[in-house]
Amino acid sequence: MSLLEVKGLTVSFGGLVALDAVDVGVDAGETLGVIGPNGSGKTTLFNALTGLYAAAAGEIRFAGRELAGLEAHAIARLGIARTFQSSRLCLALSAFDNILIGMQAGRRTGLLDSVFRRGKLLAEMGEALERASHLLALFNRDLPARGFERVGQLPQIDRRRVEICRALASRPKLLLLDEPSAGMNPEETAELMRDLQIVREEMPGLSVIVIEHDMFVIEGVSRRVVAFNYGRKIAEGPFAAVAAHPEVREAYLGRETARA
Amino acid sequence: MALVLVWAAELAVFALVVAGILAERPLPLAATGLAIVAAAVGLRLRPGLRRALVAAFVAHRRAALAGGALLALALPLALRASPYWTFVAALALLYVTIGQGLNLQIGTAGVLNLAGAAFAGLGGYSVGLLTVTAGWPAWLAVLAAPWVAVIVGTLLFVPILKTRGHYLALVTIAFVFIFNILMNNFEFTGGPQGIKNIPTLRLFGWPFTAKPSLLGVELPAHANFYYAALVMASLTTLVLRRLHDSWLGLTLNTLRDDEIAARCCGVSITRGKLLAFCIGNFFIGLGGALYAVMVGFVSPPDFDFGYSLVMLSVIIIGGVDSIPGVVLGACLLLPLPERFRFLHEYRLLLYGLVIVVMLLYRPQGLWPAAIRRYR
Repeated sequence: MSLLEVKGLTVSFGGLVALDAVDVGVDAGETLGVIGPNGSGKTTLFNALTGLYAAAAGEIRFAGRELAGLEAHAIARLGIARTFQSSRLCLALSAFDNILIGMQAGRRTGLLDSVFRRGKLLAEMGEALERASHLLALFNRDLPARGFERVGQLPQIDRRRVEICRALASRPKLLLLDEPSAGMNPEETAELMRDLQIVREEMPGLSVIVIEHDMFVIEGVSRRVVAFNYGRKIAEGPFAAVAAHPEVREAYLGRETARA
Repeated sequence: MALVLVWAAELAVFALVVAGILAERPLPLAATGLAIVAAAVGLRLRPGLRRALVAAFVAHRRAALAGGALLALALPLALRASPYWTFVAALALLYVTIGQGLNLQIGTAGVLNLAGAAFAGLGGYSVGLLTVTAGWPAWLAVLAAPWVAVIVGTLLFVPILKTRGHYLALVTIAFVFIFNILMNNFEFTGGPQGIKNIPTLRLFGWPFTAKPSLLGVELPAHANFYYAALVMASLTTLVLRRLHDSWLGLTLNTLRDDEIAARCCGVSITRGKLLAFCIGNFFIGLGGALYAVMVGFVSPPDFDFGYSLVMLSVIIIGGVDSIPGVVLGACLLLPLPERFRFLHEYRLLLYGLVIVVMLLYRPQGLWPAAIRRYR
């Protein structure tokens, strides 16, 4: 069953058409890979899906609802969570706080509880902290012990994990990963692929869209791939077929010229 | 053992503060100053002692709070010879209340509100109008006045939401000046003369102009306000601490640090900023309201832009987003210029200097914000 259905999505900035009538769909529990050169519209797709950019045309149906016109926070509450290409953690806050913010939409206590029914609030916070520890431990067993440290003190790979945990904390139906391996060396990238495997195993019902430049990552985590260039979808299908598609090869490697 | 250390440290601080305030002749004053410097240097040179102190305070938090409360209650006894200093102590406590409200906006939510003086003024003028013009009893006016600050603040919220950073600061600065010009020119607020003869508070028939006595010792009349301000500052600090260590504080910190990440986590920026602005203005207005009944009159210069800067300095010196920092900042910044009267003319200059030095060398403040632990 299709969880996300995007039809004819167009996003433009002034005269620049960043996304041009794009159709994309994701099934429940599926991982979709998105590839394409820089500036081809991959991140624009994520920003349109999460409500940061308004669509000029087209429709986005998510879990049977039309998302057009909804604000970013309302879309997040419907079950779309994301990470960002360059980390958007709050470095001055603790790792736990960075994850708890993902759970605040589902909170059961209000302002008055915070002040007058402290026990109730602290019980809920205790549960939330426990779940945050559990999420961190999925990726690195030593990480929960550092949960109360400022996230800025953690190494890069663990920060990326905290960001993934923050996205998972909201119990999303759809997870958008924007170049999770950006800025990582080969060993870290290998660890990251293992992490994504863990996410798949722990949350089999979760749908994932992952943007990647690293073809090994895409090949390792997603069966179906779409390729973008100049804001248009140029290919779609299994990884091997898309990678071999002439337009994709041209976008990445340039046009083959006749040998002299 | 650690408990003794906690109480001994508190008692030592109390003794130094009282001695610093009351020492009139040069010799005792110099001795007190020397003792304060010696204590500071000693703590700096002996990290072992410093760690032992911190550990003792952490281990005996409740006992430390109880000891501090007891000493705060006893302060008017020590200052009984000086109604003036009792008044200054009460004023510092008013700034604790105001600072906590403002800190929720500036420190926690990153809404750089430089209109603190105007919102305190809205509280103060409301008390003046409600008592003198409308004839309400003072206590009822004090309870109603903060809501005026909240309501007017909500009207200002549209430009607040649409601007950020420097622009937001400019909008709020403009509001202080508009407030002052209006108060100077409105007939019903008394123009430049302001509102005089605001009746004093009266609780259960006890007028706040009567001299109270504690343990058989007669205290100056201002001790009434000191205790009222102490209760108000304590309750405000408790409420703000609980709000800070809850979903609200977490949400506001996140939208302060990264609005886009916050939105993508389901945080409504409008709701978050509106909550911070309204709750903050309530406590700023409350501080202004009690100021009005304490002093007995309000006029435009009592709430000019300079006081917004004083409020901002309290937060920056104490520690941005730090609840105990606000208490420390207010208790340091309000009495110090009073102690050095010759500096009084240059007070704003002094504040400016202190802010620049702090921002350069210790931007996290004297008591930096701690990591939330939810317990």
